[in-house]
Amino acid sequence: MGYILNGFVRAGILLATGNPETFSAVFTTLKVTSMSIMASLFFGIPAGFFLGYSNFPGKKHIRAVVDTLLALPTVVVGLFVYAFISYRGPLGRLGLLFTIPGIALAQAVLVLPIVISLTATAIEGLDRRLKSTLLTLGARKKQIALTSLVEARHAVMTAAVAAYGRAISEVGISMMIGGNIKWYTRTITTAIALETGKGDFGEGVALGIVLLLLAFVVNWVLILLKRKK
Amino acid sequence: MSDAPLYEIKDLEYRYGDKFILNIPHLTIEKGDSISLSGPNGSGKSTLLKILAFIEFPCRGTVSFNGIKATNVNAPLTQNVTLLLQDPYLLKKTVFENVAYGLRVRRSKDNLTARVCESLRLVGLPPERFAQRRWYELSGGESQRVALASRIIINPEVLILDEPTANVDQQSAFLIKEVISSIRKKFGTSLIIVSHDHIWRNQATDKNIEIYEGRIREYSTHNIVRGPWTPAAEGLWEKNLPDNQKIYAVNPPDKNATAILSPSNIIVSTEQPVSISAQNILKGIITSMNLEKEPGKVRIDAAVSGMPLTCCVTQHAAGDLQLIPGKDVWVVFKASSLQWH
Amino acid sequence: MKILRIMVICFTFTAVVSCTGNNTLSGDKVLRMATTTSTDNTGLIDYLAPYIKADTGIELKWVAVGTGKAFVLGKNCDVDVLMVHAPDAENQYVDEGHGICRSQIMYNDFVIIGPKNDPARIKGKAVSEALNRIVEKSASFVSRGDDSGTNKKEMNLWKSARLPVPDREQWYIQTGQGMLNTINIAAEIDAYTLTDRGTFIKYESNYKGHPRLVILIEGHSSLRNQYSVIAINPDRCKNAQFELTMKFINWITSSRARKLIGDFKLLGKQLFIPNAQEH
Repeated sequence: MGYILNGFVRAGILLATGNPETFSAVFTTLKVTSMSIMASLFFGIPAGFFLGYSNFPGKKHIRAVVDTLLALPTVVVGLFVYAFISYRGPLGRLGLLFTIPGIALAQAVLVLPIVISLTATAIEGLDRRLKSTLLTLGARKKQIALTSLVEARHAVMTAAVAAYGRAISEVGISMMIGGNIKWYTRTITTAIALETGKGDFGEGVALGIVLLLLAFVVNWVLILLKRKK
Repeated sequence: MSDAPLYEIKDLEYRYGDKFILNIPHLTIEKGDSISLSGPNGSGKSTLLKILAFIEFPCRGTVSFNGIKATNVNAPLTQNVTLLLQDPYLLKKTVFENVAYGLRVRRSKDNLTARVCESLRLVGLPPERFAQRRWYELSGGESQRVALASRIIINPEVLILDEPTANVDQQSAFLIKEVISSIRKKFGTSLIIVSHDHIWRNQATDKNIEIYEGRIREYSTHNIVRGPWTPAAEGLWEKNLPDNQKIYAVNPPDKNATAILSPSNIIVSTEQPVSISAQNILKGIITSMNLEKEPGKVRIDAAVSGMPLTCCVTQHAAGDLQLIPGKDVWVVFKASSLQWH
Repeated sequence: MKILRIMVICFTFTAVVSCTGNNTLSGDKVLRMATTTSTDNTGLIDYLAPYIKADTGIELKWVAVGTGKAFVLGKNCDVDVLMVHAPDAENQYVDEGHGICRSQIMYNDFVIIGPKNDPARIKGKAVSEALNRIVEKSASFVSRGDDSGTNKKEMNLWKSARLPVPDREQWYIQTGQGMLNTINIAAEIDAYTLTDRGTFIKYESNYKGHPRLVILIEGHSSLRNQYSVIAINPDRCKNAQFELTMKFINWITSSRARKLIGDFKLLGKQLFIPNAQEH
């Protein structure tokens, strides 16, 4: 028991004294996840909207594929993206391996299905009367589409939070694509994996606490947004 | 094209799968008309309203608006016609934004705030108290009024209303009816109304179109008598009523046929008739009485074995017979008055 | 609209964030190195990096992977220089033309560690005999199992003892992880394992000098552990920063580096013995 308590004490010290390695990992995580979330929302929300809103042949099949990709293991994504961005791979010239943008790219690939699928569900869940109401008030096709997306904003925000949760807590991608390089691509999760493996429980706990706090903050922001709306 | 009718419908067909929902060979509505649509549930009223609002389009046939044929891609038509449903949908925004929406999509932003406030005042929702309320902070009647406000603000040429006072409290119902009449007076807006409130219907509209099973009927009010019919004596067929009374009819096309009985073929008596040629002599009770549009006429709703029958008497007769709701009466009509649908 | 405002804020935040800080590994003076977990786990490179930056201006970025993985990274041109400890494999690598200018920098030795009570009674014995005893007693033995330098050495030891290289035996545990992790796993299950002395001293210091596993066999000539650096062949990899790599190699074989490496101690013990020859 003392061993665990020691860990918490050490965690408190690391956080209170602003330990540079700890905070470097925190900021790296924040950088990576901000980029990956923005990218996945930027592409995922329109795609999800289109998937939920329009009718086209093969829609059911595409939806099935997207829903299957929801359960993609992080290491599988890591593996495929690694193959692409290694120097010998097709995107090798971009020099993305072992960089923050590289991790962000792979994470974006990981969470894109979440954003697309949940946004499509949000759109499909819109009240059936919405379209005719907007029509009768004189809205045009584009206006109807845009207003529909805004009407679904709560569910879309939930999708964003779900995606963020997945991105911020994954290890496999950050490890494989980032390389866990100290000061550069060591994220909270890879650092926890490293420190625990090395036997430094205190550092691991400290980072774990920060990770939990981040998750709470994101959720709290969502609740705030929902209430105001 | 100014003398073209407001609506001209030709050979309209609307199907849902195999079922025929609407089948209207011809219907004309003129500018400035105020008409009501009536008919039982499932008769196709709502679908016709949606077609008239250009939210739905027929499978066959044409609908012309002010002389121009309406097709699927002719979106601009929805700018002149607006529909208010029985259970309206409000956007997930404030009341203000809901009412302003119609103006925003028309990019008509001058004096937006003033116009929204005026619209809200018209429907009895003072803007100071209601403009910033959210869509979930309204009662049923208030929601309906917001929906109405958002439609009248765009000054439509045609206002179509599907049971506008059905699910609302009395005060809201009153206000809604007031607003509708006042905009008709002020702007000459054409009205197409479906309402079970037949008193209001008679007050607010000039003409009634009746729809039954997707077709337009010529009769202005209706009594519907359904089967099953079983053969009885003397070439007659009979329908059994719950309290052992029977209705007699002549030659139904099949044993489950439906008959229409016009109120003008019904005689009301306060005493049981004897020695009379009509085969149907039924006991009932008056449930309500209302003034008909036609001067000097009174409409009587009676319940015969629970089945509603509408009859018509003169004001004079009503006074003489001392007819009042709750009074037992005899309702008399010939078996041949029942016309088959 | 409120949402629009929030989104604009988020996008600008992200844009600013992605531009700040060192995001990429390709800068003017950034050198990419693949090294072993033994060198990384001990903290040697953390210790040397600031000196390298001060003396040469090189910003060293390194990934700690097994030697085998390091070789692959080099072949794929994802790094500029390797720091590994598998001499036979290294020579083959150079022969195949993937690397050039192989230079020795330091050595220490491997040790076989195990639980204090030594269930298989291997303490002080010769390596081959010790391994035979482990097989006889089916004593738990933990292996790196990751094609690292240490792993390659372990394979050689089995072969030298004329024993079949274990794989699926129940007492043989292949972790596939770094050296320190592997030691910790062995400690958890009271098993024997092969490690370099440097990482063992680091492990010792983590437990304040009272580790669960102790050195049972050391000092044999077959346990020598030589570290070298290899530059990735610029002819094979157009993106390899050869000049920078040579600057680095010159530094790490210099007398200054030798002194620094010799001074690196944990628990008062020296972990690596420099043996670079002047270039």
